Amino acid sequence: MIAIRKRMLALFMLLSLFVGAAYAQDDIVIDFYFPSATANDAEGIFQGYADRFAEENPGIRINPVFTGSYTDTRNTILTELQGGGAGPDVAVMLSIDLYSFAEEGYIAPAQAFIDSMENGEAYASDFFPALMSNGVDEDGNIWSIPFQRSTPILYYNADLLAEAGYDSPPANNAELVEIAQALTTSERHGLLVPVAGGFPIWMYQSFAIAFGRNIVDDDPTAVYFNTPEAVAAVEFLRSLGAELGVGPAGGAAWGDTPVAFLAGQAAMIYHTTGNLTRILNGADFEVGVWYLPSGPAGEDGAGYGAPTGGGNLYIFDDGSKSQAELDAIWKWVTFLSSPAIQADWGATTGYIAANASAWEAEPLASLALEHPQYLVARDQLQHAGKEFSSYATITIQGIINGTLESILTGESEDAQAAMDAAQAQIDGILADYR
Amino acid sequence: MTRNSRVAQTIAATLTGAIGLIFLLPLVFTILVSIRPENEPVTQGSIFFGSEITLSLYQHALKIAPWGLHYLNSIIFVGGTLLVQMFTVTCAAYAFARLRFAGRNLLLVVILLQLMIPSGVLLVQNFRMINRLGLFDTHLALMLPYWGSAFGMLLLRQAFREVPIELEEAARIDGANLTQVIRHVYVVNAIPAYVAFALVSLSSHWNEFLWPFIITRSEDIRPLTVGLNKLIKTTDQGAFYGQLMAGTLIVITPLVILFLLFQRQFVESFARSGIR
Repeated sequence: MIAIRKRMLALFMLLSLFVGAAYAQDDIVIDFYFPSATANDAEGIFQGYADRFAEENPGIRINPVFTGSYTDTRNTILTELQGGGAGPDVAVMLSIDLYSFAEEGYIAPAQAFIDSMENGEAYASDFFPALMSNGVDEDGNIWSIPFQRSTPILYYNADLLAEAGYDSPPANNAELVEIAQALTTSERHGLLVPVAGGFPIWMYQSFAIAFGRNIVDDDPTAVYFNTPEAVAAVEFLRSLGAELGVGPAGGAAWGDTPVAFLAGQAAMIYHTTGNLTRILNGADFEVGVWYLPSGPAGEDGAGYGAPTGGGNLYIFDDGSKSQAELDAIWKWVTFLSSPAIQADWGATTGYIAANASAWEAEPLASLALEHPQYLVARDQLQHAGKEFSSYATITIQGIINGTLESILTGESEDAQAAMDAAQAQIDGILADYR
Repeated sequence: MTRNSRVAQTIAATLTGAIGLIFLLPLVFTILVSIRPENEPVTQGSIFFGSEITLSLYQHALKIAPWGLHYLNSIIFVGGTLLVQMFTVTCAAYAFARLRFAGRNLLLVVILLQLMIPSGVLLVQNFRMINRLGLFDTHLALMLPYWGSAFGMLLLRQAFREVPIELEEAARIDGANLTQVIRHVYVVNAIPAYVAFALVSLSSHWNEFLWPFIITRSEDIRPLTVGLNKLIKTTDQGAFYGQLMAGTLIVITPLVILFLLFQRQFVESFARSGIR
C-alpha cells in the first residue's frame, strides 16, 4: 500500500514537473505575441523593451512570445482562440488583418482607450494619417495602432544614373521607362519590380494608385479591381518585362531583388522601406532613394502613390478582462507606440517610425541627419494609400494575387477579361457582407 | 567469371556512388551557402566559396535561439512519445492479432480510417482538448496526441500474426501469464518491426513543426523545429538563406555524428528488418 502511494506520489511529481510551476506573484502578466520579419534579433529587442517597461511599471510583467511569420502568427492566434485558449493580450499582426479579427469579436477597438486618455487627441493625431488608414473602420473608429510599418520606395544606383547622364531620379512613369531602358545592358536590369512569387498585390497597388485609383477605399465591402486605372496599371507593369525588356518577364522575386541591386545587377528597384538599413549598409555605391514615380498625368489626378504595409498593435479582449488588466494592456501599447520606442525600433530595423514626433527623438533624428534617405520614406507617406483590406481579406487577396500573376506571366493575355472575371467573383463573396 | 563479376562490381559501385552523390548534394549546398557572406550572389567571388569564407552566419545563428534547450526539448518530445507508443502499440497489436472479441473488425476499420485523416484537420480540436486538460504549453501537451499510433499498431499486429500460435501455447503450458507471453514470445520475435517503427516515429516527430508550434509558447518547451523557424524571416526583407543554412547545420550536426558512431548498428537493423 505504502509502495503504491509512493509510486503515485512520484508520478504526480513527475506530472507536475511537466505542467510547470504556476506563477506565484500577483503581477499582471501581458502575453505579447509578435512575428518577426527582419534580420535583426527581434526577440532580444523585445525582451529589452519588456524589461524597460517592467522597470517603469512595477506590477506589470510582459511575456513576449515569438510566433513566426505574419501568417504563422495569425494562424496560431486563430487556432488558440477557436480552441478555447486564452490567446494573447496584445499582438503585432498585419494592419490588414483588422476585419478578420473584428468580425469574430476577438479584438477590442483602441478608440475607447484613446477616448479615456487625457491627451488622447494628441496621441492619435501624432501618427501619420496614411499609417492609420488600415486601422480605422468605416465609421472612423480606431482599432489598431501602427507599430512596424513600411511602404515601397524607389531605390536607385546614383552612380549608374550619373554615368548615363541622369542627375535626378525618374519623377514619373515616362522618365522611369526612359532611364530604365538607358541603363539596361546584357548583364544588368534597368528596373526590377518584385511581383513574382505569389504576392504581387502590394507592388501592384503602387501602380494602381499612381494610375489614379486604389483598388480599395474606406468601405470594407467594396473592391475596385476592373476599373480602367486598375487595368492600365497591370498592363504597364507587364510591359516592363515583356515589351520593354528592362527586367525579367513576369517580374522579379521578392528576396532576389535587393541582392541583385546590391550586386550592381539592377540599376533601380521597387522595394520596401524595411530594407533601407540593409541596403545602405551593404552597398558599395551611392544609394539614392526617391518616391515611386507618378503615373500618367491627367484630369483624374494621377500622381505619386504607394500603399502602406506592415504590422499594427492589436488588443485582444472578448469582454472578460478586468479594468486593471485592460489598463496594463493599454500602457504596453502606448509604450510600444511612444515616440521614444518608435525612434529606436525604426532606427534598428528600418521600419518607418509611425509618429511624427519620433523623428525628432534619438537615435532616429541623428540617423536621418546622416542618411536623408530615411526622410524620403517618411515624406512619401503624404501620398500613400491604404493597403488592400476588406471583409474576407485573405480569400479576396488570393483571388487578386492569382489574377495578377496570370496576367503578368502572360498566361492571361486579355487583362481586362481576367480582371472582370475576378471582380465578379469578389463581388459574389462581398455580397454576403453588404 | 571473375572478370565479369569485377565489371559488375564496378558498375554497381559507380551507380551507388552516383546515387549517393545526388543525396549528398543538398548537404554540400547547405554547407557552401552557410559559409559565404549573407546573400552574396553566386556571380560574386568564387562560384563555390564566394568572395570570402566566413563563420559569421554561425555566430549569428547560434545567438538567435537557445539551441541546447531546444535540443533537450526535442529529445524529451520524441523520446517520451516513443516510450509510451511502444507500450500502447504492443498491447493493441496483441489484442487485434490474437484476442477474439465482439466488434474487433469494426474497431480495426475505425483505426484504419484514422490513418487517412490529415493531422492538420484536427488541429483546433486537439488544441481544445489539451487546453481543457490544462496542459497548454507543457511537454505533455506535445506528446499526448501521439501516444496512440495506428501505423505502429498495424505494423506490429502483422508481425505478431506471423509468430506461430504454437509458441504461445507452449509458453502457456509452461505457466507463462499474459504479460510474460507478450514479452517473451511476441516482442522478442518482432524486434525488427519495433526498430522500423521506432525509426519512423522518431524521425517524423523530430521533424514535426505545426503541432509543437501551435501548442507551445515558452522556450522551455519548444523543440528544435520551432527554434529553427526563427531563422526563416521572409516577410519584409526577403529570405536570409545563409543564416538558415547555418542554423540547419547546427541542428543536424549532432545527429550526423551520432549516426556516424552507430552507423553499423543502424544499417544492420535496417537490413535485418528487410530480410524478414
